[in-house]
Amino acid sequence: MEEETEKKKESPIIQVRNLYKIYRVGETKVFALNGVDFSLQRGEFCAVVGPSGSGKSTLLNMMAGLEKPSKGEIIIAGTHIERMTEKELVTFRRENVGFIFQSYNLLKTMNAVENVALPLSFRGVPKKERLELARKYLKLVGLEKQMNHMANEMSGGQQQRVGIARALVVNPRIIFADEPTGNLDSRTTKDVLNLMRRIVRKRKQTLIMVTHDNYLAGFADKQIHIVDGKILKIEEQHHEDEEEL
Amino acid sequence: MRFLDLLVMSINNLRRRKLRTALTVLGVIVGTASIVVMMSLGIGMSEMQMELMESYGSMTAINVYCDTYSQPEGGQDPVYMTDEIIEQFRQMEYVDGVSPLLNVSVMMRQGQYTASYVNLVGVTEDYMEQIPVGEGRHPKMDGSEVELLFGNMVLQNFSNGKRGGSYYETGELPDVDLMGKPIFVIYDMDAYYQSMNGGTGTDGTAVKAPKKYLVPVAGIVEGGENDYNQYSWEVYTDLEALKTQLKKIFKKGVIPGQPTNKKGKPYPYFIYSNAVVYVDSIDHVKEVQTAISDMGFQASSNSEWMEQNKKQSQMTQMVLGGIGAVSLFVAAIGIANTMMMSIYERTKEIGVMKVLGCDMGNIRNMFLMESGFIGLMGGVIGLILSYSLSYLMNHLPAVTQMMMGMGGMDGSISRIPPWLAAAALVFAVVVGMVAGFFPAVKAMKLSALSAIRNE
Ligand SMILES: Nc1ncnc2c1ncn2[C@@H]1O[C@H](COP(=O)(O)OP(=O)(O)OP(=O)(O)O)[C@@H](O)[C@H]1O
Ligand SMILES: [Mg+2]
Repeated sequence: MEEETEKKKESPIIQVRNLYKIYRVGETKVFALNGVDFSLQRGEFCAVVGPSGSGKSTLLNMMAGLEKPSKGEIIIAGTHIERMTEKELVTFRRENVGFIFQSYNLLKTMNAVENVALPLSFRGVPKKERLELARKYLKLVGLEKQMNHMANEMSGGQQQRVGIARALVVNPRIIFADEPTGNLDSRTTKDVLNLMRRIVRKRKQTLIMVTHDNYLAGFADKQIHIVDGKILKIEEQHHEDEEEL
Repeated sequence: MRFLDLLVMSINNLRRRKLRTALTVLGVIVGTASIVVMMSLGIGMSEMQMELMESYGSMTAINVYCDTYSQPEGGQDPVYMTDEIIEQFRQMEYVDGVSPLLNVSVMMRQGQYTASYVNLVGVTEDYMEQIPVGEGRHPKMDGSEVELLFGNMVLQNFSNGKRGGSYYETGELPDVDLMGKPIFVIYDMDAYYQSMNGGTGTDGTAVKAPKKYLVPVAGIVEGGENDYNQYSWEVYTDLEALKTQLKKIFKKGVIPGQPTNKKGKPYPYFIYSNAVVYVDSIDHVKEVQTAISDMGFQASSNSEWMEQNKKQSQMTQMVLGGIGAVSLFVAAIGIANTMMMSIYERTKEIGVMKVLGCDMGNIRNMFLMESGFIGLMGGVIGLILSYSLSYLMNHLPAVTQMMMGMGGMDGSISRIPPWLAAAALVFAVVVGMVAGFFPAVKAMKLSALSAIRNE
């Protein structure tokens, strides 16, 4: 890891080359992604912006190995994701990826702490240790009062924050977030985004966030604008110490 | 993923749908219990049959019989069982011991009580040591003196000479003290009856009452007055001592029960109508038996009977077990169904777990554990149920009475040996896992993405 920091400028952690995703709906073809190229450096916070139906989720899912591309390459940390078997993809996700769902996807049978601790249990972390970690991250997202609530005993925004804690807790190299703040008010949204940015910066993690909100995209170091499956433009900007806001 | 975490997750999933789990488990309970109870009945019946057979005689003993009356026609010498033949038996391979049985019908007396036609049997040590003694000890076997070992039911033969009234009429045991008071034996019963009726012998003189002998009693065969076993009705003594005694009494005359030659004269040696050959193991019984038959004697043993019986009881067990297996099969379908339902319900959850990096093998194992656990619970409770049912069957008066009606068998009709209990448990778990296998593989192969999309 230490050595890589030297080389990081040359070798991006994520490389997407000429990516296509074509869905067949009856006789017609839907080009969800129509030739996408970009690369991301380690520690970068990237926002994927675009109108509804533009292919943002599709792109994210393919980078997380949930869907196979129709054409093109996705290289993450030197490995070709599109060539992996499903079993390898699961292992890859377990070891490298945190995922924040658009629709939270908490397990209804577990409470907040258990939900956050779940991905740790897949890695074989002992129970005591993982519950402790889970509590720590729930506190970070401001849910110390809701720790023992079941999924359906929380508001949408609270569930979303549990989902965020669940993605952060495993300390992944890359975090994929599909509209992570879609259900939060503007105040909490700012808090959560700042928090995420702070954590990610501190740990040199790469965060890829999908949003249709240009204002939220402004939090990112890099904005990828997508329309109809094509990259419209890529904007880069630098945020220094806005943590206090 | 740690095994314990996986286990806890499986159990939690089962707990979440309590009613459905309970119903599925109920199916396995019924299935397991029906197999176990059915098999236990089969085992009980065949074991009881074995016990019944054993009460008729040892499984490794061959009874040799030689008909002293119907011997081959013509001039050849009859084939009799003599001491020489007995010695030949003893030399045969696999033979552990031999005992000829010298049967003499005698009369016994104590005070006013008389028992006639008591079968006094002279045996060798090989035979004597097989007899379980209840009271007293075995008679001494050194040939010096006749000592008696009474069968535990012989007492019923005694009746009061003056008052009459045997055990069969009164149902009361005669007041005879076998061990305490002296017993007299009259060996020459013919002479006794002739003298009583004032008959005359061949030479025309009145027959004198035969001498009676005071014979010590060594012991009584194990068992109460109504516990029948193969030794119950005989009185046993040492063969050599009996032979000496008989020779002394009858001198050159014909000993009752011994055959005579064509001129009506006795043979100068003892001839046995019965003998018992003890074989070292049940596997050699048939071989020895054939050899003895080839020598011209009739030989029989329990082994053929038992073999037949074994086959039959195996059949019975298989049929009974099969009937039980059908219900376990139905239970297996129930498990498979429950697991399928569970997967449809949890499709999204499985997808989320896959996205979060849960190993595919872990997902499969989780479902396998759930179905295996259903099997285990069903197996354990089914086994408890089986033991209770078995207890009930063995102790309900109605059942016991019915059993007594069926050929007087007693003992437990339903028996669950440890191997059956263990096998039932393992079987229930295996059935659960097999039934859950395809659903589990299906769960493992679910596509993560379509699972998430499936709202
Ligand atoms: N399974 C599918 N079959 C057919 N078409 C699909 C499928 N999944 C997505 N699409 C199409 O691909 C395009 C991109 O979909 P995608 O979900 O990536 O949009 P999005 O940018 O995430 O939109 P939103 O902001 O509403 O979430 C859409 O036009 C959609 O209709
Ligand atoms: Mg989307």
